[in-house]
Amino acid sequence: MPPITTQQDEREPLQSPWRAAWFWCAVLSVIGWGCFAICAKLGSREIPAGPMQVLFTVGALPVALALLASRRFRLEKSAPGLFYGTAKGILSGLGGLAAFAAYRTGGNTAVITAATAMYPMVTVALAVIVLRERLNWRQILGLAFAAVSLIALS
Amino acid sequence: MHLPPWFWLAGVALVLWGVVGLFQKLCTNYISAESALICAAAGWLFLLVWLYPGSSMWSAYSHRNMGWGVLSGTLNALAAWMLFSAMRRGGKASVVVPFTALYPLVVVVFGPWLLHESLTLRQSLGVVGSIIAVVLLTRE
Repeated sequence: MPPITTQQDEREPLQSPWRAAWFWCAVLSVIGWGCFAICAKLGSREIPAGPMQVLFTVGALPVALALLASRRFRLEKSAPGLFYGTAKGILSGLGGLAAFAAYRTGGNTAVITAATAMYPMVTVALAVIVLRERLNWRQILGLAFAAVSLIALS
Repeated sequence: MHLPPWFWLAGVALVLWGVVGLFQKLCTNYISAESALICAAAGWLFLLVWLYPGSSMWSAYSHRNMGWGVLSGTLNALAAWMLFSAMRRGGKASVVVPFTALYPLVVVVFGPWLLHESLTLRQSLGVVGSIIAVVLLTRE
């Protein structure tokens, strides 16, 4: 699942995205998350949500360890950052449990994936309420599309 | 109006992942996106205290399906790493994040082939609408 916002990089992308490394990284990211949903469905046919989340963690840990090694086993010493990061993991794990359970019901995988992928509508709403951010016209239009899409998917 | 069981479960995932998005914003005000992913893995480990059913789990299910479960975690984490790499290599967040929101398309394209599932016209319109919605919502 893609994060809503991460650290902004102010550098301009290259003119031709086909030749840019960032473009292919983004493509791999799309393929990775898409294949994650398919694997989640295939596993959930037999395995309940709890053990699926355990297996998910087993699979994700080597990547996290590799990332940690690439940073020479050093993290920023920021208590709020580490707290929010760990809380993010707990909440995303609980969300994963619900998603695995949804896949296990036998519902259409593309429909469930599209429905859960609309989580930015909740983030945007919370950003307005909690962070006092303002919505731009695209985001308002996006909320309208999300509402109509949820009705169509249900 | 009767709603299918998956709808409520997907709704719970949508709300929780929506809150995760907020925490991601708050988190990356203090630490890098890569560190955030490492911390998230610590959060997943924390959940295992309650979720781990014991060693009997490893013999209760087929190796093939357990492989799918493990692979789902690896792919999810690698996808997040690739997203951060895209931004580190010059991709602007306002371009890269909406682009990666297109991932349900992979399921739409490969689902019929790999999972033998098909979409009704109404569901297809819903999927297209949801992808447009996410791209619009994630534009800065």
